Amino acid sequence: MELNFILNGQPLTLTNVDAETTLLQLLRERLGLTGAKRGCDNGVCGACSVLLDGRLVKACRTSLAQVAGHAVTTIEGLRGPDGDLSDLQAAFLEYGAVQCGFCTPGMVIAAEALLRRNPHPTRAEIRRGIAGNICRCTGYQQIVDAIEAAAAQRLAQEERENE
Amino acid sequence: MSNLRYVGHAELRSVDGRARVTGEAQYVCDMTLPGMLYAKVLRSPLPHARILTLDLAPALALPGVVAAITHADFVEHGNFGWPVKDDYVLAYQKVRYQGEAIAVVAAETEAAAEAGVAAIRLELAALPVVGDMQAALDENAPRIPPASVKTDGNLGETIILRYGDPEPLLAAAPVVMETSYDLRHQEHAYLETEGALALPEPDGGVTLFANNQSPFINRDIVASVLGLPPQQVRSIQPHIGGTFGGKDDVLYESSAQVAKLALLTGRPVRLIFTRAESMLASYKRQALRVHLRLGSDERGNLQAAQVKMLADSGAYASMTPMAAWRATMHAAGAYRYQAVHVDTQVIYTNNGYSGAFRGFGNTQAAAAVEMAIDELAERLHRDPLEFRLQNCLRQGDRTMTGNLVKHEVGLPACLEWVRDKSGWQQKRARYAAQPADAPRRRGIGVACYFHGCGLGGEGTDFAVSTLKIERDYSITLTSGLTDFGQGSRTVFTLLAAEELGVELARVQMLRPDTRTAIDSGPTVASRASIVGGNAVRVTATKLGQRLRLAAADLCACAPAQIIRAGEQYIGPREEPHSFEEVVDHARALGLQLTAEGRWEIPAVEWDLETGTGKPYFAYVFGAQVAEVEFNSRTGRTKVTGLWAAHDGGTILYPQGAYGQLYGGIAQGVGYALMEGYLFKDGVPQRTDLRSYRVPRAIDLPEIEGTFIETRLNEGPYGAKNLAEPVMVGTAPAIANALFQATGERVRRLPIPPQPRP
Repeated sequence: MELNFILNGQPLTLTNVDAETTLLQLLRERLGLTGAKRGCDNGVCGACSVLLDGRLVKACRTSLAQVAGHAVTTIEGLRGPDGDLSDLQAAFLEYGAVQCGFCTPGMVIAAEALLRRNPHPTRAEIRRGIAGNICRCTGYQQIVDAIEAAAAQRLAQEERENE
Repeated sequence: MSNLRYVGHAELRSVDGRARVTGEAQYVCDMTLPGMLYAKVLRSPLPHARILTLDLAPALALPGVVAAITHADFVEHGNFGWPVKDDYVLAYQKVRYQGEAIAVVAAETEAAAEAGVAAIRLELAALPVVGDMQAALDENAPRIPPASVKTDGNLGETIILRYGDPEPLLAAAPVVMETSYDLRHQEHAYLETEGALALPEPDGGVTLFANNQSPFINRDIVASVLGLPPQQVRSIQPHIGGTFGGKDDVLYESSAQVAKLALLTGRPVRLIFTRAESMLASYKRQALRVHLRLGSDERGNLQAAQVKMLADSGAYASMTPMAAWRATMHAAGAYRYQAVHVDTQVIYTNNGYSGAFRGFGNTQAAAAVEMAIDELAERLHRDPLEFRLQNCLRQGDRTMTGNLVKHEVGLPACLEWVRDKSGWQQKRARYAAQPADAPRRRGIGVACYFHGCGLGGEGTDFAVSTLKIERDYSITLTSGLTDFGQGSRTVFTLLAAEELGVELARVQMLRPDTRTAIDSGPTVASRASIVGGNAVRVTATKLGQRLRLAAADLCACAPAQIIRAGEQYIGPREEPHSFEEVVDHARALGLQLTAEGRWEIPAVEWDLETGTGKPYFAYVFGAQVAEVEFNSRTGRTKVTGLWAAHDGGTILYPQGAYGQLYGGIAQGVGYALMEGYLFKDGVPQRTDLRSYRVPRAIDLPEIEGTFIETRLNEGPYGAKNLAEPVMVGTAPAIANALFQATGERVRRLPIPPQPRP
């Protein structure tokens, strides 16, 4: 089949696509975007999280029919306004939220989805927001710290812009 | 400490996190090479069986299938294993656990490889399954290990500890607590599954990218089963997605398999486990059954302990004998006794196989004794935390192995910290007064621990590091010990920069590679900081002395007269020389600008025959308090508070240390309440992350932690270790809290949801 969608802001047309492949397979095997990881095979670990029209989805459970005509954002497409790290990526580094790093791309994407939906989450809301993503290394505390700090920073930025 | 530029600074950040937040970090599963073949494994559907037929021809006839291998493709049928050589790279004659690898197919695509595996003709004759340790010791039980291994039937070995004679003390003790605990298997559940990629080299050798913990051991095992000299096998570690002790033996097998296929086909071959395969085929934390007798006088002074343990090794020994040894050395806990005996039997069963996992035997041993200490305190009508403070080790005491602890002991301070921070006394009293029929009941509990530093009597404990000043004045660092997320790259980098007095950014640590680094034994036992850290420090000192000589020559003074300001070298005439100038001058003088350093842990010795000796040269300590809420309607327990204090000596990299603390505790919460890798007649019951639940962010409370900083003279800048022991206290603290909440003692981990009363 032919597939048209927007990937990380760029319109993309792919031909000879097997309709049975998942979005995760397409990203990793056909497009060489390996930031989304395969951690389980049944949508429970969140390592393959991406944004579909800004909503959090698991790429391993997303069919190409769901993707056609829509916008997909992967970790590779997440950058700050200066083209460098996004605020969340920088906060993950600053707050020690990264150990082995295998969950990190999915975790950053889940955090991005959360902050778009709820710009001022409490720590409990942050925990619920990343509950679909397993991290086996960190115990989550520094991840919650990082997301909380990035949210505060976005809020401060907004207030500056509104002044 | 204040004159240190990096050590212990809260502002230190990971030196290599960037590629991991951008998604650019390449793990084995992200690596593809032109012409690469995909490997898939045929695994045993039965826990115990004789192999009658194994015919690869139907697989090889399929389109896309390029090669397939069995045990017959390896030297001595691929027999390997340390300390016990009882395992095979691919099953030989028998399969001993469900999921054991039997054959591997390499094909042009993953689908073709899967089809190849399905086409292999395999006939098995089922053997009786030994699913229980006690049953395994029955003289009529079928023998599990190969005949080549010396055992007493399924009894792999017996480990003893003899300190004094506890029998007369226990016979005379006014209070004796006798209980048994059942500690079940735990799955590592690292988020990245096992993976290995082999690349054939023109010289007939092979290069491996594998996510194992110990690349030198991997190299040596692969070389031996392939019949190659070790120099022809190169093992490189890419980014690794978590290990926690779990990526050794299973990766040696995978590495040998893809290496052989690469040599046969002349093409790169990659094998990546699915999650189900990973959970089925990888080794686990061993189950332990622990029987304890603890004696105390009326005033609550512990007198003696007698412990008997059964350790379920499963189908192969892997690291279980070592973990059982460590469990034995910690079985009576971090307390003063007059006499302790421990007898531990390591037993073969068909319950998967077990090996290393964070805490390495002490996680289980401490869970048992910390529940028993709580039960004893209850019997004596004593507050469990004050009871521990009364009996816990202090500097100058003798451990349960009879060894004098000469270094500082932060254990009492850890107990006091968690007591004060958690509001222990008020909560303990408040929860004791809850109505017994309240639908939600709370409880608060404590546990404390000690943990021997390094390998101890488990093996020679050394590390080697190298440093080289490059033409661009950067400094290249190698270590034979590796980083798989625990932060040792940052620790090694900061130690080198600290010792050399240079900016952190100058130091670049190479990825672990058996061709560039020097063999340092296994990266296990949380030994990277002390042993690897000291090796870096020794190396940097050597290199630093040469630079100081060069600076002294430049300044025409004695080396001792040189002082440092930032990176600059300043002589008596106060003229500063930059690092670059000094390096140039050293080069001109012909001084060697590479250095190699080795450090070995002070000698310890243990006599296996008599069960006496000195198992470790030093210990870390800690205490944790857990608060839980038990919902009597659902039978479920939620952890609502956790306080943790750890004495890890000087903390070198605080942010990383807190990450280890929180992460270890999370694994402890899973061990206490959620995980439990269960076997039924040798058949694993949970092989996906839906049925095997690991803690998520919502399963954990906010954790309040601290480090009680003592100083260990032998450690780099006084540091000890922390990554493993921080999980040791969590599960028993939770179990003890639950006991306060419900009044029911569950002597099993994980604690299953409790039925409605």
